[in-house]
Amino acid sequence: MTSQVLYQEPIEEAIASLETWIDNHRQSNLFREYTFSSRSLALLLLQKDPSLWSALKQDEEQCREVEIVLTVAQNKLEYPVNLAIAQTRQQQARRLESIVLQETKRTQTSLTETLHRFTVNPLTGFPLLVVILYFGVYKFVGEFGAGELVDRIEGFYEGQINPIVNQITAQIIPWQSLQDLIANDYGIITLGIRYAVAIVLPVVATYFLMFSLLEDSGYLPRMSLMLDRLFKSMGLSGRAVIPMVLGLGCDTMATMVTRTLETKRERVIATFLLSLAVPCAAQWGVILGLLAQKPAALMVWGGLITAIFLAVGYITAKLLPGSSGGFYMEVPPLRLPKLRNILTKTWIRMKWYFWEILPLFIWASVFIWIGRLTGLFEMIIRGIEPLVAAIGMPPETAPVFLYGFFRRDYGAAGLFDIQQQGLLTGNQLVVAAIVLTLFLPCIAQLQMMIKERGLKTTIAMVLFIVPFAFLTGYCVNLGLTLLGVNL
Amino acid sequence: MNCHQCPKNNCTNQKSPGWWKLFRKTPRALELSSQDAQIALVGMPNVGKSVLFNRLTGIYVTVSNYPGTTVEVSRGLAQIGEQNVLVIDTPGMYSLVPISDEERVARDLLLKTSLTAVIQVVDAKNLGRMLPLTFQLIEAGLPLLLAVNMMDEAHRLGLKVQQKALAVELGIPVILTSAALNQGIDELKSALAKCLPSERVAIPA
Repeated sequence: MTSQVLYQEPIEEAIASLETWIDNHRQSNLFREYTFSSRSLALLLLQKDPSLWSALKQDEEQCREVEIVLTVAQNKLEYPVNLAIAQTRQQQARRLESIVLQETKRTQTSLTETLHRFTVNPLTGFPLLVVILYFGVYKFVGEFGAGELVDRIEGFYEGQINPIVNQITAQIIPWQSLQDLIANDYGIITLGIRYAVAIVLPVVATYFLMFSLLEDSGYLPRMSLMLDRLFKSMGLSGRAVIPMVLGLGCDTMATMVTRTLETKRERVIATFLLSLAVPCAAQWGVILGLLAQKPAALMVWGGLITAIFLAVGYITAKLLPGSSGGFYMEVPPLRLPKLRNILTKTWIRMKWYFWEILPLFIWASVFIWIGRLTGLFEMIIRGIEPLVAAIGMPPETAPVFLYGFFRRDYGAAGLFDIQQQGLLTGNQLVVAAIVLTLFLPCIAQLQMMIKERGLKTTIAMVLFIVPFAFLTGYCVNLGLTLLGVNL
Repeated sequence: MNCHQCPKNNCTNQKSPGWWKLFRKTPRALELSSQDAQIALVGMPNVGKSVLFNRLTGIYVTVSNYPGTTVEVSRGLAQIGEQNVLVIDTPGMYSLVPISDEERVARDLLLKTSLTAVIQVVDAKNLGRMLPLTFQLIEAGLPLLLAVNMMDEAHRLGLKVQQKALAVELGIPVILTSAALNQGIDELKSALAKCLPSERVAIPA
């Protein structure tokens, strides 16, 4: 082919001898399944491709032959071989670009460029972040989604649907215990589906809408750039901001995205922080809804979670050996998001999320029903009550923590329900919100953690998180009481 | 549960709820005959591979304006000419020598799968930065097509791409597209059709 890139003399010599060598070994186990040309495989070997070399190392003699060729080439070059190869390609690319790409008008420092600087510079970027958090998350998700929308839908559900369901089941099903499965206080329709549809769904919908907007505009990577230095002090590269920010949408997805991080150490730190201190969409929303009327309480919650995030991140980075990878990231252009794309994406995510939680919420109702029938529910609740009392919560919240064990958002929704009945003080709300945020993630995230990081690492993380969540709750409660603060 | 925007039952992308995964490990097998050709979408992160995948297969995979949204391989069927073709969307990669896990996924797929065609998607605005990967894919002897994407944005910046010159220099088919605006998709499909085996048979001797 005429378009083949020609490398420096010593490299071409090395390629030639490796090519012959590969052609002779084509039938061996090593190369048989590869579809690439011998020239390409030779270049991969010269660039020290990790998987090819680890396959090669099974046979020491082969390995030595290739190493000799590599050393010979290296000795004739000023730069490392892979750098020389990359340079030749880049030169060729630039030459070709200059032939085929024409600039018809001079690119002026445009509006997007100014905007870009504005978002990346900490002096302007940080206030912008605060503004976005205030209007986008606090006002839109917290007050509109978790306040207005939930009130309306929840009011409608409790006022219109629950009584009808209760009435119908009472008429059709003669047994009280079976009625309770579907209706009344803990029924599938009156509690399980109500939590999913009336509390969690509106919150998550507004949050995902907001999040998709930020995603498509190209703001998130700029935020990463701005926060890079902060993350570096925690042993994470700016690249890790992306999974963290994604975690604010859904921690399960974010745990999967930690794959984009370069080193195993970074992936472990990121996974740990995600499961401990990054609240997901449902939690955010419900907690914002809970604390929206009490800005001071919201500040305490936000401040503490941020502090824990930073402190734990810093300490883990110090404890885990190794260094963080360098930060280079594509910064995509700032774009005016297309409404249709955002709506589609929000819709897809909502659907995914809803189908994910609905069966779980229904199962929770069934389990509670079985537990109540057998008296097991009461027993477990009574077991948790001292623990709940230790962090200063009323006994009514014991079931909430039990739900929270299965899913944080289910627990948060339960808390929301209790708060609407006016049973909680400001202090109690803050403590509950903190414990639920720190507490174990949902089952889906746990599965993802096991899949990505392995069982051993996951268990270690869980063993830290559960006592830590309660201990923090205990300390916060103690602190607030000792200081005589009433939020 | 049906995948959004799935025209037929050709979607392996169905996300069953996590709760189900406890009981059902493997997703429903794709109805695919062994003769069907496979093509892969590759390229650097954030060049629009997933948008193009959506356009070709009608299957929605999450698209975002930042690099690294796709970390897993998605597969779906597309109709090219008379044939069904399996289209594979891959995570972004910078070079054939992988650095991170998701790059390795894409590279190993290329290295070990026999593909009828490989479409490298590039950002027209940053052509120079994308071409080193093109050279590597050509070196590997893969049946490569170049989709120069985001032409709308390049145009707005006053950039003009000489399609013919690029195709001649590289020795591979070059198609200009704006996948987000659905432009150039038909041209891409007809260029793909020329790579498929049965089309070649149809040419009279």
